[in-house]
Amino acid sequence: MLGLIILGTFIAMILIAFKTIIEPKLAHSVVLSMGIGLSSVMLFVTFQSPDVALTQAVIGVGISSLIFLMGLKHLRGGYES
Amino acid sequence: MSLKRTIPMTTVSGFAVSAFFVVTILNILIKNMPSNIYRAGDELLKLNSSEGVANAVTTVVVYFRGFDTLGEIAVLFIASLGIGLVLKSTTKEKIESEESNFMLKTGAKLLSPIILIFGLYIMIYGHLSVGGGFQGGVIIASGVLLLLTSSNHFHISHRVVERLETFAGVSYVMIGLIGLIVMDSFLGNFLPHNISQMGLLLSGGIIPIIYIIVGIKVGSEMSVIVDNMLKRDIDD
Amino acid sequence: MIETILNFLNQKEVIQATVVIGSMGLFLIGLFGLLTQRHFIKLFISIEIMEVSIFLLFIGLSFQRGLTAPMLGDGIKTFTNMNDPIPHAMILTAIVIGMAVLALGVSMAIEYHKLTGITDVDKMNRLRN
Repeated sequence: MLGLIILGTFIAMILIAFKTIIEPKLAHSVVLSMGIGLSSVMLFVTFQSPDVALTQAVIGVGISSLIFLMGLKHLRGGYES
Repeated sequence: MSLKRTIPMTTVSGFAVSAFFVVTILNILIKNMPSNIYRAGDELLKLNSSEGVANAVTTVVVYFRGFDTLGEIAVLFIASLGIGLVLKSTTKEKIESEESNFMLKTGAKLLSPIILIFGLYIMIYGHLSVGGGFQGGVIIASGVLLLLTSSNHFHISHRVVERLETFAGVSYVMIGLIGLIVMDSFLGNFLPHNISQMGLLLSGGIIPIIYIIVGIKVGSEMSVIVDNMLKRDIDD
Repeated sequence: MIETILNFLNQKEVIQATVVIGSMGLFLIGLFGLLTQRHFIKLFISIEIMEVSIFLLFIGLSFQRGLTAPMLGDGIKTFTNMNDPIPHAMILTAIVIGMAVLALGVSMAIEYHKLTGITDVDKMNRLRN
């Protein structure tokens, strides 16, 4: 059961990553990168490391994506590629 | 394909082929490894029992590799300094043209005290369960971000935050120097740490004190970064 | 049939091979995005994907089945049969520093756009504006 969870999550992460790079609208690309971060949190919990999972959930998903969105608001062209 | 697309495709395919070979050799080596490997973490887990701290990762970050944490705080300080210098302007005002939404105002009034207290709880109980200074500080900064975007009358006074950050940074090095004087090693554990107190709040000597200092510094730095990115020039 | 597939996927070598191949594939996708995209913010998103893949490789290779998390809790009273706490501490530092670098990069992109109005990487070829 453990191997099946790891394999399925990796396949989902690769598909989401491909869609993140190809997407022309930038705000949608940032939200998809949050999806990659949350899948990696699930993998960290499966690998029995709760400290790293909490840190990635707070810093890698929370503050990092918010910094991207604030930067896109300054650039004023956040809907084109 | 044009030249602009063949160069990345060649690089990536070359990387893929070499990665395939590396993965194959790695798998052959992993199959031949003995079943009981001697890990360096076992020694640190045995040493951790004499410190009286329930969380082994906290002990490794703060005590056994405490100098790396000091360098990481220095890197965060340089990044915050760089952001403050790059995004400078003579007159600043916040990016807001109209009043916030009604849902945002009500939700922020309900949620922001809970977020701030949760961040403080994770920062203080870092040596007993999952958590620590970095996580708690960033949670406090995200609570401050919620307060900044939802109301027009909330300002961060830069003098208070600057004094907090200076106090935290100086006291980290001071604790290290006191450890050098008392115990002959930088960042040594000079407060009493009994094994019988494992699991209680006052345990582990200087380890919870250092993590709280790290949390104060990280929280104030991230608040200043967030505050700088939410402003823009008055003639933009 | 399903039992044999699940038992095949639960072996130690197959889990480690999955972790290595998956994180290297994620790294290659991030590298492809870094080389072909033209907007400045999309380069930073690709760098973040590459960083996540390396964290997964580190922690996935130091994971052993049957051992538990490196902290005491209810039911666990001694420091035996635990995973290695050293890679966890190193990855904690790396996550924080990655976030700091990204924040500095985004602020430089904002300032450059304020001076010249350009966000396309192919057009950023002037030393002074």
